[in-house]
Amino acid sequence: MRRNPWATLLTTASLWLSGSGFLAAQAPPPYSRTLETYTVPEVVLVNQDGAKVKLKTLLDSGEPVILDFIFGTCTTICPVLSAGYANLQTKLAATPSKVHLVSVSIDPENDTPKVMRDYLKRYRAKPGWDFLTGRREDIDKVMNAFNAYIPNKMSHYPLTLIRDPKTGKWIRIYGMMSSSEFVAECRKAGIL
Amino acid sequence: MSGWRAVPLLSRALAGALGLLLLAAPAVAAPPGKPKPAGTVAGLPVDNALALGERMYRLGLLPSGEPMSSVVNGDVPVAGTAFSCSSCHLRAGLGSWEGGIVTLPTNGARLAIPRYWKFPNLSPEERRELKLQNPAARPAYTDETLAHLLRTGRDPSGYDMHSVMPRYDLSDPDMALLINYLRNLSVRPSPGVVGDTLRFATVIAPGVSEEDQQAMLVPLNNYVARHNQFSAGFGNRMYLGVGGNEMSGAYRKLALSVWRLSGPPETWPAQLDAFLAKEPAFALLGGIAPGEWKPIHDFCERAKLPCLFPITDLPAVSDTDWYTQYFSKGYYQEGQAAARYLHGLDDPNPTRKVLQLVQDSPEGKALAQGFRETWAELGRAAVPETLLPEGKPLALAALEELLAREKPSTVLLWTGSSAFPALAALTQGATGAFLSARLLGGQLTNLPEPVRSQVWITYPYREPKLEAKYSLYADTLLGGLKQRNPETRISTRTYALVQILRQALMDMDRHFYRDNLLDRIGMQRDQILPDYLRLSFGPGQRYASKGCFIMQVGPGPSPSLLRKSEWVIH
Repeated sequence: MRRNPWATLLTTASLWLSGSGFLAAQAPPPYSRTLETYTVPEVVLVNQDGAKVKLKTLLDSGEPVILDFIFGTCTTICPVLSAGYANLQTKLAATPSKVHLVSVSIDPENDTPKVMRDYLKRYRAKPGWDFLTGRREDIDKVMNAFNAYIPNKMSHYPLTLIRDPKTGKWIRIYGMMSSSEFVAECRKAGIL
Repeated sequence: MSGWRAVPLLSRALAGALGLLLLAAPAVAAPPGKPKPAGTVAGLPVDNALALGERMYRLGLLPSGEPMSSVVNGDVPVAGTAFSCSSCHLRAGLGSWEGGIVTLPTNGARLAIPRYWKFPNLSPEERRELKLQNPAARPAYTDETLAHLLRTGRDPSGYDMHSVMPRYDLSDPDMALLINYLRNLSVRPSPGVVGDTLRFATVIAPGVSEEDQQAMLVPLNNYVARHNQFSAGFGNRMYLGVGGNEMSGAYRKLALSVWRLSGPPETWPAQLDAFLAKEPAFALLGGIAPGEWKPIHDFCERAKLPCLFPITDLPAVSDTDWYTQYFSKGYYQEGQAAARYLHGLDDPNPTRKVLQLVQDSPEGKALAQGFRETWAELGRAAVPETLLPEGKPLALAALEELLAREKPSTVLLWTGSSAFPALAALTQGATGAFLSARLLGGQLTNLPEPVRSQVWITYPYREPKLEAKYSLYADTLLGGLKQRNPETRISTRTYALVQILRQALMDMDRHFYRDNLLDRIGMQRDQILPDYLRLSFGPGQRYASKGCFIMQVGPGPSPSLLRKSEWVIH
């Protein structure tokens, strides 16, 4: 998916506005939603328990999967995305649905299995939420495969990817979702 | 596909952005705030109230010990233990910007004054002097409007904060404690800000050679001198407007004192206390000690004094300490890399038998500790360790006997080059050995050729063949030094310190709080500088280089180093 040049301009402008605090004072922004096809790269990552994980096997298993990109010391987006994951897990606990939540680190230098374990503990993550790290080259491959590449972690943006288990397509959500919106998107994807 | 509702506001946004770009400097010193007078807060003594407020701000815990409760994005509940105020507003409260989201300052000085869209950091006095007429975006917060903001996300001008800001469910007494803390957070500049000067110091411990001292002091002093020349241009027309005032108002001259320690390390804390009392410093820059940095590290924790990138390979290793920012974990990190590399080779059937032979020195012990703790963290069983008396080389017969008896797959030889003759024992079997590049120093390439294929080297720097083009930059600060010593890497590390400090001073702007200096470094982008493959940062991240290569020594009398691994980080 090509990014809208106006969106890029506005994002850049927002960075310039650090002194004014302009964006922080806006109303909650709407998110955008597109349907995408991605090819998961053949990389081996490491999860919070130190176990090696073949990403393609994990994501293409046919099970419902949701993916995001975060890092352990992020100051803004990641905590809120992770709060969304934690809340979704709580809601899913009351349903028969088994959705696998996957967070891929964009700060692999710092996000060791121990850091990732501690992070998941803070969010009271239950089994079914994996935090993956790996070699920087492999992380770059994953970001590129999902059209999410950023050269530096401080430039990242909120992205949630929901895999439709029937079609194998990915619902790409750019922006923040409320809990009810997240559940609604999961339902649309047929994983709830 | 822009997620942000910025289009209707574009013209104002771009105007602000252009203004900031032209200024090339973001903020302005905040005037003194209005901390609460002595007395009680929510019925508690002031000190107690501040401590409880700090716990709410930093850890997200209520006075009861329960997590603070809030909602983000409209209906997503969040416990304070997941993330707290300081996760986004940072420890000093000056906020952050990341991923297109700006987190506004929430420190006492800024809450106590109105906020403006244009030149938001100018003080009320400066605005009056400059005759700025533009209306405030919001008035100064009262306790009531601040409580309303924290509960609803709406500021006193009716503006709704971004949905990522938690809306807190707090009782009135708990709210009073949090507001009291915010009112007292980063209100007055930290010690070391004296008039138009920011005072720094650097520590030199006894036993450091004159050459090594100069390798650090010359580039540091050259940087300070160049920085101080900059203000000569402030009379130019471009600095006379509002933007120029904002920029020049954020500028401070720098001063650097040298604190020379003497005697044994246990006497250093008292000496450091005396230095700090005599010439209060905003932060320590670099510093150099031949042994462990811990006495100075502990002093900085106690004095709440930042120490930026000391020249040491024996740092204090801690997940929680705050005030010292290191280049790496030093020797510890090499031991850590050996553990990670070996575990990566073994997985999923770990049967490798490993021995650690450890020189009885701070360096040897740090290497062994890094391996031991990481090996355990990876779920591996503890390995036998033998301490080798310092100054007594490992004997060939002793190593032969050990290898014959224990039959290890791998032996970690955390000793210097004095062990080279004993390495001949390796040729009688298939045991592999690990040695430390730092411990071997300049003797690394003298590794006996017959054992080179059985010896792996932990190498914490960029590959030598790629390093020259990065280290050359360090020469720009070497005026006064004949040449750089590539083996000690002191002047290159000092150059890296200067680059990071220069960026941090710009980002800190005129918010001269010690914690803010560390916060700004934490928000820096990854840096590609001499010596280390990559320096990366983040709030609370205190070891900027986090990996290590595994190398072997190539053949011949002038061997190259052969890289045998990726940058080992896991």
